[in-house]
Amino acid sequence: MLPSTVSRRIAIAPAAALAALAWLPPAFGQGRTPDGQPDIQGMYTRNGVVGLEAKPPVNPIDPSGANPLSVSNRGDGLGPYPSIFGRGGTVLRGGQGRGQRRTGIVDPPDRNLPWRPEEDQKRREFLLHMNPPVDLRHVELNARCALPGLFQGEDGNNPYQFLQRPGEVMILYDYNHTSRVIHLDGRPHVGPSIRLFMGDSIGRWEGNTLVVDTTNFNDRTSYSREIPYLSDALHTTERFSLADSNTIDYEVTIDDQKLFTKPWKIAGYFSRVPPGVASMEFACAEGSQTLLDIFGKPPEKGGPDK
Amino acid sequence: MVSLAASAQVPRASGGQPDFSGVWQAVNAASWDIQDHSGELGVPPGLGVVEGGEIPYQPWAAARKRENRLNRKTADPVAANCFLPGVPRATYMPYPFEIVQTPKLIAITYEFAHALRTIPMDASPHPEGLPDTWMGDSRGHWEGDTLVVDVKNFNDQTWFDAAGNFHSDQLHVIERYTLKDADHILYEATIEDPKVFTRTWKMSMPLYRRLEKNIGLLEYECVFYQQEEKYKNAPFHR
Repeated sequence: MLPSTVSRRIAIAPAAALAALAWLPPAFGQGRTPDGQPDIQGMYTRNGVVGLEAKPPVNPIDPSGANPLSVSNRGDGLGPYPSIFGRGGTVLRGGQGRGQRRTGIVDPPDRNLPWRPEEDQKRREFLLHMNPPVDLRHVELNARCALPGLFQGEDGNNPYQFLQRPGEVMILYDYNHTSRVIHLDGRPHVGPSIRLFMGDSIGRWEGNTLVVDTTNFNDRTSYSREIPYLSDALHTTERFSLADSNTIDYEVTIDDQKLFTKPWKIAGYFSRVPPGVASMEFACAEGSQTLLDIFGKPPEKGGPDK
Repeated sequence: MVSLAASAQVPRASGGQPDFSGVWQAVNAASWDIQDHSGELGVPPGLGVVEGGEIPYQPWAAARKRENRLNRKTADPVAANCFLPGVPRATYMPYPFEIVQTPKLIAITYEFAHALRTIPMDASPHPEGLPDTWMGDSRGHWEGDTLVVDVKNFNDQTWFDAAGNFHSDQLHVIERYTLKDADHILYEATIEDPKVFTRTWKMSMPLYRRLEKNIGLLEYECVFYQQEEKYKNAPFHR
């Protein structure tokens, strides 16, 4: 039989804990790839990217027992939003103190986002129909095993691996076997009729900072549970800045003129994981019963092929 | 298949190995049926990719394959459910894939269902005692100019094609990637599965570099599109 709802797994080799003690990172700023890029390759966790607004709406799909709206408080942990969806990981988080780094919404500093008032109202209304979801559109993407967009790949346990080759940076996610390619070869964005969960990413190095311009998003990606969708006008500028040999600071300007009157910024960071941490297959749709649990069985059509 | 040595014209990585990086695609009908087959509605005809033509099924397995084929529209894990296609099927799905080659790790990302493989090149062994997987556990090494990838630790859920050719969780695939020139790979996959076949067998095919200017993978989110169709009138129980 297929495995249960979502198989997500982190392997830490038994020797990893000991190996970590003996591990010395490369000296900062020395590494260069053969084509001259600052070498940021390796396995990292992402931290702090998803944060809260100053006055966030109630999150209706928080699966914790504290949320009276949740319909997934069942003994077996299953249901429309299994409790596993709510667990942020701490196993792999690096030694850096969160307090030393900028996280969550950083601009505007008071975290009052420049919503267009009617769009803020629409999203608050949308949230009220997400648990239980009134229709497919109101099911969050993670529960559909869809590509996560730039922000929902998960802070915490599921690591990210950076690879570099001439003209490209590739980011491999453990989460749902996602990957992103950032083109450094000066090509233009794809045409406007092509819409993507992960967007179309063009990058360049400015010193030790990789600056990535991404457009062509579809209208399905989200920032957080409280901001459950962004529009197809979304345009992001990401800055991956080498902070030290173990840390990449991450800042994103979110420009979505359909929803907001001006751009706003979020921040977070990537920290290297100890040696011995491996990414494993994160099959999602192959075992997921989530939509069946939420909506019941779709009507059968067709039969054996004669 | 004639074994072709890589010519001097192939791109090379900084370490001297052939550089397979780029966007590639098979141009054949193997994803529908890896053996010779005629066209049908929705099925492009094709020359088989199995060397010698025959797949050496054990008798029980030959019967199971025939049954799979009869039920293929609802039983093919890819056509019916958009599941991860496994290896080698991911290679000859009618969608491009991208190889990103670095000295210690080669990644292959497939447009279909954003399938992803990572291939460590550090002589590490297959890990023991881990759960079965859809795409297998891949470990690579160089034999001259050929990239050899040993793939194990599969589940028994994927098919080789939409015609019902199948395997068990004992599947062991040895892939060989050889650059014939800058824009063509000779791809060979040796298949071992003592539970299902009477002997080892092999498929081979050329892979073609996608030469379009600014080529890059887009997204074919099969699961998402299927959900949009199946659940468009949801909910069903209220």
